Order: sequence, then C-alpha cells, then structure tokens
Amino acid sequence: MGRAGATAVRAGWVRRLAAGLAGLGLMGLTAVLAELVAQGVPHLNWHFLTAAPSEFQPRGGIGPELVNTVVMVLAAEALSWPLAWAAAIWRVEYAPRPTLVRVYDLLLMAFQSLPGIALALVLFSVLVIDWGWPLSVATGTVALAVLNWPVAAVLCQEAMARVPEAWREGSWALGATRFQTLTRIVIPAALPDLAAGLGLSLARLSGETAVLIFTAGVNVGPQWGWFEPGETLAVHLWYVRTEGLMPDRGAVAAATGTVLLALVALGVLGGRWLARRLGAPKEPLRF
Amino acid sequence: MPPAIVVDRLSVWYDGVAALRRISLTVPGGAVLAVIGPSGCGKSTFLRVLNRLIDRVPGVRWEGQVYIGEDPVLSERTDLTRLRQRVGMVFQRPNPFPFSIFDNVAYGPRLHGVHDPKALRQVVEASLKKAALWDEVRGKLRRPAATLSGGQQQRLCLARALAVDPEVLLMDEPTSALDPVAAARIEELVVELKGRYTMVVVTHNLQQAARISDFTAFLQKGELVEVGETRSMFTAPRDRRTEEYLTGRLE
Repeated sequence: MGRAGATAVRAGWVRRLAAGLAGLGLMGLTAVLAELVAQGVPHLNWHFLTAAPSEFQPRGGIGPELVNTVVMVLAAEALSWPLAWAAAIWRVEYAPRPTLVRVYDLLLMAFQSLPGIALALVLFSVLVIDWGWPLSVATGTVALAVLNWPVAAVLCQEAMARVPEAWREGSWALGATRFQTLTRIVIPAALPDLAAGLGLSLARLSGETAVLIFTAGVNVGPQWGWFEPGETLAVHLWYVRTEGLMPDRGAVAAATGTVLLALVALGVLGGRWLARRLGAPKEPLRF
Repeated sequence: MPPAIVVDRLSVWYDGVAALRRISLTVPGGAVLAVIGPSGCGKSTFLRVLNRLIDRVPGVRWEGQVYIGEDPVLSERTDLTRLRQRVGMVFQRPNPFPFSIFDNVAYGPRLHGVHDPKALRQVVEASLKKAALWDEVRGKLRRPAATLSGGQQQRLCLARALAVDPEVLLMDEPTSALDPVAAARIEELVVELKGRYTMVVVTHNLQQAARISDFTAFLQKGELVEVGETRSMFTAPRDRRTEEYLTGRLE
C-alpha cells in the first residue's frame, strides 16, 4: 500500500467518524422529540386546543395561547418584513456609499446577535414603563417585530444577492431603470428564497420566549384583545414547566410542546413548499 | 442607414487608475469594428462606455466624448433609457432571464411601453427570425429560456437585444463561452446583420476578428495602438506592437 492508499484509509476513517457523530446527534435529537410527542399526543384533543388554561385544576387548555401565537407571529412578520425588505433593497440594489454599508452591516450583525432577554428589558423600559403600554398582545407583537427585523433583513439581503448580476446587466442594457430591473427581474427571481426565509422566521418567532415574558406577559385575559395579556405557546410551556401548579402539568407541557413543534414545522415546510411553487432555476444552464 | 460611432479623445479612470487613455476612432455606419488586445487592455471598458453601462461602476470618471450619429453619449443630458434602446448589447456569457423564451424577447418592448399582445407576438417572431432562432423555437415559446442550449441562449439574447429596434449592437466576446459550431452561427449572424446595424465586437479570437470585421482596433494597456481596415491591418500592421501581438497569437 502506497501513500495514496494510506491517505484513502485515513479519509475513510474520518468519513466514518463524521457520519457516526452526525448519527449520534440526530439520534439524540430524535429521541428527545419522540419522547415529547409520545407524551404529548395522548393529551391532545379538541377540548385541550380550544379551552382556556387553568391555574390549579386539571384539564386546562391552550386555546388563547394558540390564538395569541398565530396572531402575534403573523402581525410581527407583517410589521417587520416590509421594513426588512426595504432595507435589503437599499443595501443590495442601490449600492450606497461603502462606509455607510460597513456601518449598516456591523449594526445588523450586532442586532442579530442581541439576546432576546436584553432586547426585552430595553423594550420593557420604553414601551411599558415610559409609554405605559400594558403587558399585552400588542406590546409583544412589537417586541417580536423588533427582534425579527435584523434576521429578516439578512434573509432578504441574501435572497436578492443570490440573483445573478448578469440578469441585472441584461436588463439595464435594454434600457430598464434600476426600479424596473428591481420589480421585473430581481424580486421575481428572489421570491422563492424570500418565501423560504419567511417560513424560517415564522418558525423562529413561534418558539421565542425571552423577549415576550416582559412584554406580552405570562397569562391570558378573559377575552382576546390587542391590549389583553398575550401569553404564547412557547411562553406557556416555559411557565407550566417552571411555575405551573396544575396536577397534570407534565402532560400539559408535553402537549403544548407538541403543538408548538407542529406550528414550527408548518412554518418551515410551508415556506419550502411555497419556494418550490415559485421556484425558477437560479443559474442559467451550464453547457 | 445606421449611425456612425465617433470616439473623440476618450479616457476612463477607475478610482484614479487609467483604464483607457485618449482613444479616438470612427466606425462608419453599418460597419463592424473588432476590438482586440490582451486581457485587461480596456476592451470591455471601451464597450461599456458606448451604452453607458460603465455608470454602474463605483469610482468611475471619464473625459472626452463619444457620438452615436449626432448625439453625444457622455453628456449629463443623455437619456440613458433612449441610449440603451438605440445601443443593444450581447454579453460574454448568455444571460437569458429566468422567464419563458417569449417573455425574454418581449422584455425590452414591454419596458418601452408595448403591451398589445398582437404587436408583441409580431416583434418576438421578427426578432427571433433575425437571430436565426425562430425555426428552432417556434411552438415552444412558453418554455423556460434555460431549457435552450448555450448557443441557442446566446442567439436568444441577440433576439432580445434586436427586439427594441436598436441601431448599434455591442458584443462582448459573444462566442467565448460557446462550442465551435454555436460560435460559427453567431459569426454568420454578425456578417448577415452587417449594414443594418453598426457593430462593435470585442474578441479574443483573432481569426474571428479577421473573418467578421471591416475595421479592427488593437488596444494595449488602455492605449489604442492601431486602428484600421481589418484586411490591411492583419496583412501589414503599421505598428511593431500590433505585429508582435498578431504573430504571437497566429503562429
């Protein structure tokens, strides 16, 4: 066996090790999820999905939390996505001054890595203390939107940067303005990536807790309203697990987690499905 | 009669570094000018001045003037949409848009306000015929442009440029990404379209320049070393540098 043979053996060994570690990680995750779903599914029924939660009694539900989660996540996307998109268009298509771009990129990275709990405390002191907003659906929605904006901006930016420059040049060379090129070439071509990105951010916001505990609260009101307390599924899960006093809290937590998992999967898979529906080949064919 | 192109003491700098120095030449209306020279000599820059695609480069500055017919190109008042409608361009790599064949060719006319379906169908058919692609794609106009072969894609890009009824055609190494047969078809088209459009073709391929052009300009390090009739320049170059370049490559 020569040196090439030895290298091949070593490469095979590395590949097996990597595959083994990847398999181990996947197995661990799958075991956790399977455990959660196995505990949660028996507790799932129409009553659980629609009833109000109960503090001390068994058989409480997650109806208001489910509504809050869906409404707040969608509203936060509706608030943050257009702003993120606008920022990305400015950044990618209108080639601003390089120094400005550097500052913008740095700020975006900083905002992106900001811990939710730190953002929550800032928003709490401004929205709740200074402006007198209640811990509510509306306050939580704003918090989610602020948290989401930098991530959405990066997703939009990458989606548009992936549109080949040759298409823009082809459009300009035919007399199109920057704006025409944007609306007729860049945005249609970026839509699949944008849809997939939207799905990802839906999933991420659905699971958000830290930023909501101080802004939306950990309970729900007697009826739904923008200025009623706005506990979401993820926050409910955390609350039940740490402070819940109901006798069936183990089952409630598992069932809530299962529903949350389903919502997250819906976001990710829905985005991917939409991306495929909108999909166009990104690169001109090679030959 | 397509317009002549007059380049008058044109210089271009990128961030203060000269890319073209005091280029002056004239292309008679309907003629084909080949621009040759080593990589980085300013060929592409020269081409992109003619339709002002150069504007997109940050830190670019120019001096001198270019006229297409009577109209100055490098003026504050130049209407870029109108200029780029008059001056079409075909790029080095075929760059069809991610649309159907029809929508690729109709893209330009739609930009310039043609929306009547019948008028669009007519201009698409006429343009595809001029680009010698009609026979291969008739009845398949709704297919994605990306399903075409590389050579067909390049002819589609030519049809797309022709659809806005230009007077000048710029080609940036239009065959360098194609196989020899597809390249030959593009060359035939250039010869066929000669007289109807004033054309400037940048090429790395000296034989191609000799086959298709009436005039040749040899650029080196941003300077115009020699320009003249293709035949006399290839048989008896006046400048020693041209001779070295031509013989070095042709041997």
